Amino acid sequence: MNPLLLAVTNPPTVGATNPIMKALTWFATHFIGLFNASAKSFTGLITGILPLLIVLLTAMYAVTTWIGEERVTGAVRWSGKYAVTRYTIMPILSMIMLTNPMAYTFGRFLPERYKPAFYDSAVSFCHPVTSFFPHANAGEIFVWAGVSAGVLKVNPNAFAKLAVLYFIVGIVVIFIRGVVTQWITTLLIRRGSYKEVFAQFDLAYAEGHIQGDLA
Amino acid sequence: MSYQTVRITRGRGGWGDGLTLTPTADKDVVLSVTNGGIHPVAARIAELSGSTAVDGFVNHVDDDRVLCAVINCGGTARIGVYPRKRIPTVDIYPGSPSGPLAQFITEDIFVSAVGVDQVAVVAERELAYAGEREGGHVADGGSSTGRPSTGGGSRSGSLLGGGSSAPPAFKPVAAGGGFTGVVVKFGGGIGYVINSLLAAGRQALQLTLQTIIPFMAYVSLLIGIVTYTGVSNWIAKVVSPMVGNPIGLVLLGIITAIPVLSPILGPGAAIAQVIGVLMGTQIATGALAVQYALPTLFAIDGQVGCDFVPVGLSLGEAKPETVAVGVPAVLFSRLITSPIAVIIAYLAGFLVA
Repeated sequence: MNPLLLAVTNPPTVGATNPIMKALTWFATHFIGLFNASAKSFTGLITGILPLLIVLLTAMYAVTTWIGEERVTGAVRWSGKYAVTRYTIMPILSMIMLTNPMAYTFGRFLPERYKPAFYDSAVSFCHPVTSFFPHANAGEIFVWAGVSAGVLKVNPNAFAKLAVLYFIVGIVVIFIRGVVTQWITTLLIRRGSYKEVFAQFDLAYAEGHIQGDLA
Repeated sequence: MSYQTVRITRGRGGWGDGLTLTPTADKDVVLSVTNGGIHPVAARIAELSGSTAVDGFVNHVDDDRVLCAVINCGGTARIGVYPRKRIPTVDIYPGSPSGPLAQFITEDIFVSAVGVDQVAVVAERELAYAGEREGGHVADGGSSTGRPSTGGGSRSGSLLGGGSSAPPAFKPVAAGGGFTGVVVKFGGGIGYVINSLLAAGRQALQLTLQTIIPFMAYVSLLIGIVTYTGVSNWIAKVVSPMVGNPIGLVLLGIITAIPVLSPILGPGAAIAQVIGVLMGTQIATGALAVQYALPTLFAIDGQVGCDFVPVGLSLGEAKPETVAVGVPAVLFSRLITSPIAVIIAYLAGFLVA
């Protein structure tokens, strides 16, 4: 038989016989398959999350511009006085208005002994806050967006409830976290060698020496 | 005549490093290109620096004489025109480099979102000039002529020496009178709203381009690899049983909060984000019940910010002693609060489904 004819009637199944070609074919298929899978997931993220995120970010940036940092500062200073508001309203306002990581600068209005607890409280809110205010921590949106995307797909009705609950439970958690960290801080001050130093800090604070006071 | 150095800083939502301007005899005009008379900001700059505010819509001023231009533009045209001529530009609106002339808008020559409060005399200069000014008044009191106040703005500063350097007289423009005033004010209000929205949109897209899309690309690649190679099934097999029951969730919450581990797991929330996306895909396929979404969010986040405690505290201007006490306080507190958070979220999770 003509060898050419043989080639036409039996298309070359090179990979099946030659182990090197087999490996190459396997590699080629899976190499591009890998990136196809990645591209598919990228398309999903771009079309699924991005448009909503962009308009939300725009609205939030505009609102924070209109309200202004100065106006919030007054409310924040007031809320720092009581434990209940110090670990709820204060971190929430700081996070929404100043966003992560500048939110922690509002700690400067507090006495030294409360600063660790405020930081703990504020930083723990930087993911729950993204369920309603993605601009506050847009670089870390996928903690929320990743999990919630799954819920949105399976049960769209549950999505809004999840967003609300993430936000509310977040507030409860940051309050508990603030109180517990404040307690541990007090313990550490008492046990360690910092007792006198912090007594001095408290005295200075009572006299109105706030670091970086905006006046 | 005495000129003072003024410092103009950006306002909220503004852009630029701020401008420091000193008028000279040949360069003493604050050009207000804002329509509807001289803008209060232009008037303020003129008043403090000792220069003259001029309405750019009514008068023509040679570019050489312009100390700075005050504009109200968040868009494309005026925002770039003056920076292109290397004339320091003060934008009333929160504009940032954009439009066809964006390349000319640089930090050293452009500042935006400027209000009257953002204009101030540079302090030490103020003192130095104060005496000089007193003397000057006595010496050539006769030749100093007060210029007519333009738009109620440049009063004290606009003393000009007589003689050769006298500039051509500018038409004083009455700003905001009657109906025109209302229209200008209304237009200004609309302009402010639109321009701040536009600036917000630009800010949002900048963040999207610089942070969010790169992260999406990285997450996509990672997820592509993980799903295509089947590693995701493997991770799901390990993590899902944990997040699929309350004890496992609490355990995960404790693991992420272990003081040695939490600072390692923290940076950029990268690990929490990848696991978050993976758990999302598990929920999407139905492998994980919806009510576990909420406790999962807290269980994978027990380490949040643990890598950042000293930096975060110093942002709050904490003393070194506070940092020394605060770091262990936060890390140990997590061991208690992280499982508590998971339990609360687990209970609340039943409300979701």
